[in-house]
Amino acid sequence: MLKATLRSFLAHKGRLLLSALAIVLSVAFVAGSLIFSDTVTRTFDRLFASTSADVTVEPRQDLKSQVPTGEAQTVPASLADRVAKVDGVASVHADVSVQNITVVDSRNKSVGPTTGAPTIAADWYVTDRSPVALTSGHAPRGSGEALLDADTADKKDVKIGDTLTVLAQPGTFRVRVVGIATFKTTNPGAALVFLDPKTAADQLLGTAAKATSIEVMAAKGVSDAQLKTRVVDSVGARTYDIKTADEQAKSAAADLGGFLDVIKYVMLGFAGIAVLVGVFLIVNTFSMLIAQRTRELGLLRALGADRRQVRRSVLTEAVLLGLVGSTLGLAVGIGLAAGLIKLMSAFGMNLKTTEMVIGWATPVAAYVVGVGVTFVAAYLPARRAAVVSPMAALADAEIAGVGKPLRTRAIVGSVVGVLGAAALVGCVTAAKTASSASFLGLGVVLTLIATVIAGPLLVRPVIRVLGAAFPAVFGSIGRMSQRNALRNPRRTGATAAALMVGLALVGGMSVASASMSKSFDEQIDKTLGADFVIQNNNFVPFSKEVTDKVRGTEGVGLVVRQRFAPVAVRLPDGKRVETTAAGYDDGVDDVAHVTYAAGNTGAALAPGGLGMDVDFAKDHDVRVGSTLPVEFPGGQRTRMRVAALTDQDNSGGFGMQGGLFFGIATVEKYIPGGQDSALYVNASNGTNPDRLRTNLDKTLDAYPQVQVRDQADYKKLVHDQIAVLLYLVYALLGLAIIIAVLGVVNTLALSVVERTREIGLLRAIGLARRQLRRMIRLESVVIAVFGAVLGLALGLVWGVCTQQVLALQGMKALAIPWTTIVAVVIGSAVVGIVAALLPALRASRMNVLAAIAHE
Amino acid sequence: MSTSAAEHAPGRAPADGIAARARGLTKAYGSGETTVLALDSVDVDIARGRFTAVMGPSGSGKSTLMHCLAGLDTVSAGQVWLGDTEITGLKDRELTRLRRDRIGFMFQSFNLIPTLNAAENITLPMDIAGKKPDEKWLDQVIDTLGLRDRLGHRPSQLSGGQQQRVACARALASRPELIFADEPTGNLDSRAGLEVLGFLREAVDRLNQSVVMVTHDPGAAAHSDLVLFLADGRIVDEMERPTAEAVLERMKRFDVIRSQFETDEQFETDGQFERDKRFETDGQFETDEQE
Repeated sequence: MLKATLRSFLAHKGRLLLSALAIVLSVAFVAGSLIFSDTVTRTFDRLFASTSADVTVEPRQDLKSQVPTGEAQTVPASLADRVAKVDGVASVHADVSVQNITVVDSRNKSVGPTTGAPTIAADWYVTDRSPVALTSGHAPRGSGEALLDADTADKKDVKIGDTLTVLAQPGTFRVRVVGIATFKTTNPGAALVFLDPKTAADQLLGTAAKATSIEVMAAKGVSDAQLKTRVVDSVGARTYDIKTADEQAKSAAADLGGFLDVIKYVMLGFAGIAVLVGVFLIVNTFSMLIAQRTRELGLLRALGADRRQVRRSVLTEAVLLGLVGSTLGLAVGIGLAAGLIKLMSAFGMNLKTTEMVIGWATPVAAYVVGVGVTFVAAYLPARRAAVVSPMAALADAEIAGVGKPLRTRAIVGSVVGVLGAAALVGCVTAAKTASSASFLGLGVVLTLIATVIAGPLLVRPVIRVLGAAFPAVFGSIGRMSQRNALRNPRRTGATAAALMVGLALVGGMSVASASMSKSFDEQIDKTLGADFVIQNNNFVPFSKEVTDKVRGTEGVGLVVRQRFAPVAVRLPDGKRVETTAAGYDDGVDDVAHVTYAAGNTGAALAPGGLGMDVDFAKDHDVRVGSTLPVEFPGGQRTRMRVAALTDQDNSGGFGMQGGLFFGIATVEKYIPGGQDSALYVNASNGTNPDRLRTNLDKTLDAYPQVQVRDQADYKKLVHDQIAVLLYLVYALLGLAIIIAVLGVVNTLALSVVERTREIGLLRAIGLARRQLRRMIRLESVVIAVFGAVLGLALGLVWGVCTQQVLALQGMKALAIPWTTIVAVVIGSAVVGIVAALLPALRASRMNVLAAIAHE
Repeated sequence: MSTSAAEHAPGRAPADGIAARARGLTKAYGSGETTVLALDSVDVDIARGRFTAVMGPSGSGKSTLMHCLAGLDTVSAGQVWLGDTEITGLKDRELTRLRRDRIGFMFQSFNLIPTLNAAENITLPMDIAGKKPDEKWLDQVIDTLGLRDRLGHRPSQLSGGQQQRVACARALASRPELIFADEPTGNLDSRAGLEVLGFLREAVDRLNQSVVMVTHDPGAAAHSDLVLFLADGRIVDEMERPTAEAVLERMKRFDVIRSQFETDEQFETDGQFERDKRFETDGQFETDEQE
């Protein structure tokens, strides 16, 4: 029996090829993402482990901000002397390293990375653990001299002797590049500027009495852990974070991890799509192979093979396919990881492909996914194969399963569909975001399953409509292609399902993102009252100098600063919520239209006052007049009085829970020296806004990190940020299309083989090759468009429901991107044409006589 | 000889022209030492307005002859004309058009497109050509074949005999110059077979069509005006106004000759038998004869 299975596997290798491709793709994405993240993690673990001091003393970070506050947290430099006295300390260094700077060249162009990686200014202090070494020029001496890292110098064409301007929090200063420092380890993508230690503290922190951390090296024979304990005893663990080299490396890696996790999850998302769509392809292939082999299987049964043996034979074939596919997929995955690593170096992160890490989990996952998916997908067809009666060997059945009623499908499909619809209705009617979102998730999954199950039932009605014009336009060729698509609804349904899954996601996501864009537009129209907003692209704060210069610009009237502060509030219902609050200057009402359920701007911004979103307040039993304990960074605690409740459509516009805000004086009090994240600027009386814009652009020319935006620019910025989501959608679409094309090719190729005699007859009675190709192409287009229509219909429903969930977050506008939808339908027709290329060619090349005589 | 199909005189006329003609028609399979001749320099004239049967034992080349005359297969040497058009040397596209517009086909089985109903199947060659069928003629054909109440049925809803009648109607519908029927009764029971043969006869007698039928059944051949006997790729005999008994007698003689040399030739000519079997669907000849 095994021999027969192997023979059959080899005999059908051509037809299994496309299924194998689907497996290869999904396994490749799984393996590639695992290898990539392992490699990156290993590289950075090594980097941080090799560059961290034995023990590091840092300011305590009790509250993490969702947006940078621009404040450099410091420790007193004198702490170094205290630590130096600790027993077992070999050396101590008060380190200065900040990221709240911008460095520009002589033409006011930023030399920092464009990828979102930080620009770091630090003191030049060489140890054997420094990640960089001086490779040309000399170390910085005194103020006015600096080193630049080699990668940045190379990329931005900065040479020794060039002058750079550093926009730091205490003030702007100019430095001459006197040397180049080259990374000895992997460059994580940052731009580095080094100053001599005294200058660094003076000009980056504003005083030589401060440092950003204290780095401690242990004497011989003292372990990091021992030293840590002693340092903790000496300086206390409440005020400072004290970490060993290992701990420091871990937290540094964790900080970097967020970005890498995104890549990993995106890749796994792709893998998921590939697996999901691949399943349809595999199910379909095996179903067709079994349909074709009904006679052969019947003969096996007639000869005495029992059902179990038949089933096992099919499943063995599937496992073989899975093994081959997984192995190839693993190889492709290694290539994919290598490509990603190369891509990262384009972003400035110099990983080496030679240091690729393939953990044991990668091949295990690859084979589990590959073989598992194939096995599961082949299980149903295998069961169907097993019930082939021995009589089938004798009967002249054309295709098994064509005429079988779809009643079970209808029942199961409608039950699941009703459940899914109910979940979606629940999602629309739910009042809370959390429950609404979980209803949405459930509804999406259930309706998808229902559509897949009921797909074959929809084939007839939908394709009747889609292909209705075919006979009129294409004559009998159109009629035959339409009816061929209707011939085996199961097969057409399963083939189209592959396309449907991807396009449903695309439809849903594009409705959601279009709705978000529209909501933000309306929001901006409604709330933004300022003539201009000055801010950085990613809410990264800018130095005080920018604020000063803007205030001094001719024609500027009101300037309202916005500054963020991480806070934790203890709420009356006992919950402790960590979030980020915003601080504003007075005059908010002149730059924004804020509606209040209670209180007003003045009260909220007054000292000791606090404003928050009315819904959040209701949820947590907060009332106007409630006094809440509020924590600020560094363990500072105070109590603030809730003075106003806002009732904005879109309190969560920036994703900050609770929408907490207060006067900017409050921020300054607890986070002194913080930077502004945005300035809302109005023209002074009698100044034309266009004139002001010109002035502002001129003022800010020296500060490339910030941009001036009016409402239209601001909308564009938001749209661009949402577009990133769309790019992801389009990438998903691309992958889904590739696999769907494989599925359609597969189905058509097998249909062509099945209809060999019919094709021979048509050719004999005078169908030209061109006409035959057109017939197959039209069938392919009908199947593809059917999948697209089903997918988009489902996607639209999902999108509308998603918008309902978003509406709870204030995004109340619904937008349906009709152009995208029409483009997708047209695109699917093109997909159909492309998929038909090979099968049509094959059919038209068929020898007429051989086709007529074909059994 | 060059009169067009439309100018046929009605009624059962004697040969009033040549519908198809072959000179030195040779079809060889394989090359070098293993070359096998399926047709060996055949000269044949198919008379217009007559019912011609081609008979011969398995491997005699009768199906190959039909395929070559109908432009379905290429020839190795010689020339073939349909009417006054030489079809040898035509490209696939021209041959396709020729088959579509000027030839009608009936095969032993699988004659109809399963997705189309009877009416759509009948007009298919004209639909493909983008031509309007001649409604009057079509009505006449449909009524002659008694298909009026079956037009909306799909092939799967028709009996074997009805299916062959639809195929016959399709072959007649475009009023072709020549109809080729390859074992049209091979898959039918004797009553349905007789019916189909009757219709072919009527097509010639009443509708003035020209029919070439390949068959192994002496009874079927007896319905024709002329029987051509093929053996080993040559036309060895012909018989006007045949009867089943006479044809059977004639065939028996081949059988003797054939069984004499089949034994020593079979191994050398394996290739030919293999290939011929794919085109010919008889092979029950001997059993038929014994019955």
